[in-house]
Amino acid sequence: PSPALPRSRARSGGGERGHEGEAEDPNSEEEEETKQAMGSKTWRELAGDLKLFLWNREERTCMGRTATSWGLILLFYFVFYTCLAGMFAFCMYVMLLTLSPYTPTYRDRVSPPGVMIRPYLHGFTIAFNVSKRSTWQPYVDSMHRFLAAYDDKVQEEKNIECVAGRYFVQGGHEGEEKKACRFKRSLLQSCSGLGDPTFGYSRGQPCVLLKMNRIIGYRPGAGVPVSVDCKVQKGNESDLRSVDFYPGNGTFDLMYYPYYGKITHVNYTSPLVAMHFTDVKRNNLVPIQCSLKGEGIINDVNNDRFLGRILFTLSIGK
Amino acid sequence: MGRKYQVDLSRGLTNARAAEILVQDGPNALTPPPTTPEWVKFCRQLFGGFSILLWIGAILCFLAYGIQAAMEDEPANDNLYLGVVLAAVVIVTGCFSYYQEAKSSKIMDSFKNMVPQQALVIREGEKIQINAENVVVGDLVEVKGGDRVPADMRIISSHGCKVDNSSLTGESEPQTRSPEFTHENPLETRNICFFSTNCVEGTARGIVISTGDRTVMGRIASLASGLEVGRTPIAMEIEHFIRLITGVAVFLGLSFFILSLILGYTWLEAVIFLIGIIVANVPEGLLATVTVCLTLTAKRMARKNCLVKNLEAVETLGSTSTICSDKTGTLTQNRMTVAHMWFDNQIHEADTTEDQSGATFDKRSPTWAALARIAGLCNRAVFKPGQENISISKRDTAGDASESALLKCIQLSCGSVKKMRDKNPKVTEIPFNSTNKYQVGPGRAGPRGAQSGTALVPQPAAARQPCFCHLYLPPDKFPRGFRFDADEINFPTTNLCFVGLMSMIDPPRAAVPDAVGKCRSAGIKVIMVTGDHPITAKAIAKGVGIISEGNETVEDIAARLNIPVSQVNPREAKACVVHGSDLKDMTSEQLDEILKNHTEIVFARTSPQQKLIIVEGCQRQVGAPRSHVPSALVVPAISLAYEAAESDIMKRQPRNPKTDKLVNERLISMAYGQIGMIQALGGFFTYFVILAENGFLPSTLVGIRLAWDDRSTNDLEDSYGQEWVSTLCTLAWSHVMVAH
Repeated sequence: PSPALPRSRARSGGGERGHEGEAEDPNSEEEEETKQAMGSKTWRELAGDLKLFLWNREERTCMGRTATSWGLILLFYFVFYTCLAGMFAFCMYVMLLTLSPYTPTYRDRVSPPGVMIRPYLHGFTIAFNVSKRSTWQPYVDSMHRFLAAYDDKVQEEKNIECVAGRYFVQGGHEGEEKKACRFKRSLLQSCSGLGDPTFGYSRGQPCVLLKMNRIIGYRPGAGVPVSVDCKVQKGNESDLRSVDFYPGNGTFDLMYYPYYGKITHVNYTSPLVAMHFTDVKRNNLVPIQCSLKGEGIINDVNNDRFLGRILFTLSIGK
Repeated sequence: MGRKYQVDLSRGLTNARAAEILVQDGPNALTPPPTTPEWVKFCRQLFGGFSILLWIGAILCFLAYGIQAAMEDEPANDNLYLGVVLAAVVIVTGCFSYYQEAKSSKIMDSFKNMVPQQALVIREGEKIQINAENVVVGDLVEVKGGDRVPADMRIISSHGCKVDNSSLTGESEPQTRSPEFTHENPLETRNICFFSTNCVEGTARGIVISTGDRTVMGRIASLASGLEVGRTPIAMEIEHFIRLITGVAVFLGLSFFILSLILGYTWLEAVIFLIGIIVANVPEGLLATVTVCLTLTAKRMARKNCLVKNLEAVETLGSTSTICSDKTGTLTQNRMTVAHMWFDNQIHEADTTEDQSGATFDKRSPTWAALARIAGLCNRAVFKPGQENISISKRDTAGDASESALLKCIQLSCGSVKKMRDKNPKVTEIPFNSTNKYQVGPGRAGPRGAQSGTALVPQPAAARQPCFCHLYLPPDKFPRGFRFDADEINFPTTNLCFVGLMSMIDPPRAAVPDAVGKCRSAGIKVIMVTGDHPITAKAIAKGVGIISEGNETVEDIAARLNIPVSQVNPREAKACVVHGSDLKDMTSEQLDEILKNHTEIVFARTSPQQKLIIVEGCQRQVGAPRSHVPSALVVPAISLAYEAAESDIMKRQPRNPKTDKLVNERLISMAYGQIGMIQALGGFFTYFVILAENGFLPSTLVGIRLAWDDRSTNDLEDSYGQEWVSTLCTLAWSHVMVAH
């Protein structure tokens, strides 16, 4: 079916030309005239033509269509779009039925993992003056907010203690609830915010947390824990003199993997690595690149600066 | 003449003088029309019309990529790829149409070889064969049957010379050329032969009076090449479409540009949006589709012996409104054939069809035997040798067209004429000439020693009708061995016994009446334009249906009502035969009047210039160039020659240029309202499917764009709790596009 059908029928009707067929002629003529004689026609005539086009009293047409014609075409489009929407909804419904609620169909685009840091305030520059509390307080707040889920109490209450050094594989049915391993805030030691609630920011020795993106079923490092390493990117190596990593030597323990998705792995908390920049050149922009190291980790794609690594700038003032 | 051209009529020019004139006048050749260099043609294909929009799109893409590359450290390659694809599409389609056009024009060029190659001239009393380009004004030239006339020349002596002026006037009937001056009009007079016409038979000697571009042919050629070539409807439509699409694209692009600025994107992002939307609205495929469709059509037509010189002509062909057809060779078989015979006080119809499938007649009558004998014996035409396997009606003959027709007719109905002639050897003949208008050819027949004589009396009528008479000579007065003298006639040429009449026509092709009917029913006006006599033209027009049955011309009405022609209201006559000399005096308004008021028109005795005038008149009627079937010289919107009617094309409704646009309201409502919406939903569906399969369920997607576009968000969470790097999301995006 086509909306122009009634019109075309009137056109080809020959002998008994319908109302619509007649109505069409002045418009097409007008169109032609407008096109051909744009220059020679006055604006008044053009306005007259336009008025006639908008409402033709004799033919009782508005924009070249009678009420019936408008009714038919609107009805057509209403039915057409309703059917189209119905079909679309049906397709979506069928498509959603094919999806598993626990695991996405494809995971090849999401791995290998990307990396993210905390504190995070709209960008990858951490700049503050030690002497000015207001410049570093937002970072400290951001850290506290983020670490709230890692409070020792919360972790002890919800999660279980796991065996370190190996993957915590949980079998059973896909829909079964999975246990999550404890990652206590206290593991981060001087970066836990427990001893020093300013995370070292008040002393000009900021802590930065690093987390690896969650990927369902991903086992990083293939048996060897993935570690973190930081260095100055494009600059004087001596700007960054010492970094402390917690927990351990800055590794993500295997027991926190694999991840089973947010429906079954409800209380999962990503393991973290804290980087304590204890000696960074002051009053200077220090670009730092922290990258993951381990088997299967990609951190050297030129185009993608966040795949397996992260770039941020430290600027610590007095 | 000799004095005027400083030439000795027996010895010709001196070589030195000829060389002098050659330097002065230049070579005797037509200046070819200014040809466009190949690279210009190629560039026209590459940058003309729709391609330019695609080029702009490609350049914008490169520009966007350039801006991105300059402004960002990690530019996305999408714009670069799109630019390359756009450029590739244009280049490929450009090369394709250029190749197609070059291929056809190469074939067309081979047809152009109309200039004579060699000429026999008399210089310093010697006959020498020279290159026709070196013929100069004043040269004495000899032509014989089969030669091409090397330049316009005034005949000074001739022997039965006949020329075929069809390339000049469209008239296929060979015309006699002799030294007598017969008409004021150089085109009509008998003593001038024209450059690039053919000498059919006989010999002639003449003085060259003009060469090269100054010849009549040269003037017409320059006239035809000076004609402005109109644009074809599809070219105009595509232009119209491009304008529309450009308008839509720019409008959408600008509105999105403004919207994105309002939404707070940076100007760079907004510009990239602008370019992206403009490029997205450029239909890359259209050009290729149009080219491929036209090429396929051209190929299909080539299979049916229809060479398409210009791809766009294929479409134009379908929107034909008027066909101006030549008569000879196009509507007719270009072959004189015996149509009717009259003997025993009765008209007998002969078979004129191409394949001899028509009716036959009673051959037992003794009168027919006598008639056949006269027609066969008193006839100088012979079949050219080596054609035994070809059907008789298609064989080549040597001799006059009328005599060839008689020969074929007799051969068809009575068997070998050669045997008949062997039995009755020729003793003498008086060949046909224009003063006595008869031909006597006695032959000796059998033991009775009888002779039969024939008189051919051609009439200037629709069909030529020779009368056949015979006389058996008494053996006592004309014994065996009697010496007949054709110069001082010593045998009776009067009081012959009238045997019968045969009439000849150039019969229409079998497919023509049907084709004309089909054209008519498709609303195409068929006009016949010919150099022939009006009566002949009208008869053929009636035969093929160009003047349909029951329609009368002004003259017919006058004859029926028995009143003078001037009293007939010309509006009453639907059909009309216009004489070339009348056309000469007409203003273009009068011509328009005729074209408008008569549905069935025949133009007779027209000159090539007048053909041009007629074509232009027809083009005025439809307001735009349309297609025509003209003679070889006229260059209208489309020239074509056909063998069998292309029924597929004939069936198509002709286009109404006002309403039948490539893009009209209906198409737009279909394109945007229906197909566009279906496509859009298809696109959205693909998008939802792929993102859902990668982890983003449709419910998560709403409002996700801000975080998605934010380069500093590297842990975008999906519906399953996985975290994404933003560039990985972009990768998923490109996946969507590919899948779509």
